[in-house]
Amino acid sequence: MSFEIKEIIESAGNNLPNLFDFSSFAVFWKEGPILYLYQEESCPPTFTQEVKKNIARVWSTLRGEQIDVEQIELQIERRRLRPKQLNIDPQATLKSHLTLPLAIEGEIFGCISLNSEQSNAFDAQDLQFFSVIGSQMAATLKHFQRFSSIKTMATYDTLTNLYNRRYFEERLSLEAQKAFYGRASLSLVMIDIDHFKKVNDTFGHTEGDKVLREISSLLRTSVRKKDTVARYGGEEFILILPEAGLEESSMIADRIRRLVENTCFEVGHTRVNLTISLGISNFPNHQAKSKEDLVKMADQALYEAKWGGRNRVCIYNPNPLSK
Amino acid sequence: MEIWETVSALTGEAILALLLDLTIQTLKDKYPFLILLKVTEEGISWDKMREDCRTLSPIEVHRGFQSLINHLFHLFSALAEGVISRELFPKVFPKVKEAERILFPK
Repeated sequence: MSFEIKEIIESAGNNLPNLFDFSSFAVFWKEGPILYLYQEESCPPTFTQEVKKNIARVWSTLRGEQIDVEQIELQIERRRLRPKQLNIDPQATLKSHLTLPLAIEGEIFGCISLNSEQSNAFDAQDLQFFSVIGSQMAATLKHFQRFSSIKTMATYDTLTNLYNRRYFEERLSLEAQKAFYGRASLSLVMIDIDHFKKVNDTFGHTEGDKVLREISSLLRTSVRKKDTVARYGGEEFILILPEAGLEESSMIADRIRRLVENTCFEVGHTRVNLTISLGISNFPNHQAKSKEDLVKMADQALYEAKWGGRNRVCIYNPNPLSK
Repeated sequence: MEIWETVSALTGEAILALLLDLTIQTLKDKYPFLILLKVTEEGISWDKMREDCRTLSPIEVHRGFQSLINHLFHLFSALAEGVISRELFPKVFPKVKEAERILFPK
């Protein structure tokens, strides 16, 4: 469940006590599955478990398919919804509930429910009101779910799950601005898999894609938290290393190079060794005047690494040997 | 139409249409004629059913409708325990009988 969706649920939970008398408000989200509970502070654990079981039962009735209660992840937000003297009895059980499907265009993607430890806690008017809230919530949640998936598509590369080039450009603008105006260090590392065409030609594109995913995973785990790893295109990757000088970025780049060199990649029914070439550019060392300059310089350094025999790290040189 | 209005006033049209559709999907193998019930902007449309079901036996239609109502009430009961049933039982059953009489006069 994305952050935005959680916020919507929390906002609904904050407002519902003004409209209904309940001890627990539940939102069940089939993806996960997750049960988000916004409930009275004094709700005993047994009550919580009954709410969980009940929503699983309702879901099974609606969808005609069983759901394993143990698989449902619980996220509980405890709030004081009633005065202290009206604390819920520790032995309280679930006595009444109103549950409605969250659905848009015939697709049910969850349920919402109001729960109480009191019998007949809800009447027809509550149901009418709750169904209006349910419809609004369904539309809003679906909208945000779609928005989240569009945002994901716009940010991540679908094959490798790394950031995509579009996101890289955005991120680089931000980091370059910070570096240029704050006179802080910023390094770019451009990476290319050596002889990757051979992998595709020999083993096919499916196996080639597998290698790209494995190398992406190695890159992701080899950088610092503040770094950005993106797929630049084809078999090219790029790293943004904020606040990294030439020494630090060279160290990171060489660590990645050695890691790839020492990894055996399973391709088809065989194991192969692969290498990568890396080019580094840095602000302020290379006197880049724009983010475009930095990219060009890293690309030039990568070209030098290729020209120099591959499987190596090259730092941008304004007077390249390859000329 | 009156049934539709009574029920949708309580749960909202979208949810009722969804529940009706779920019910029809569950029962369609046993009572295929139920898929002729169409949910329109005005509520449930009987027109297609009226045309196509003349050859069916009234008892078959009665059983189909009974199952439809039972299943819907089962869903209502699972969703809101007594709240929907308390409101609807007295109103819906006479209307269903009336609808059956209109569709298949003896």
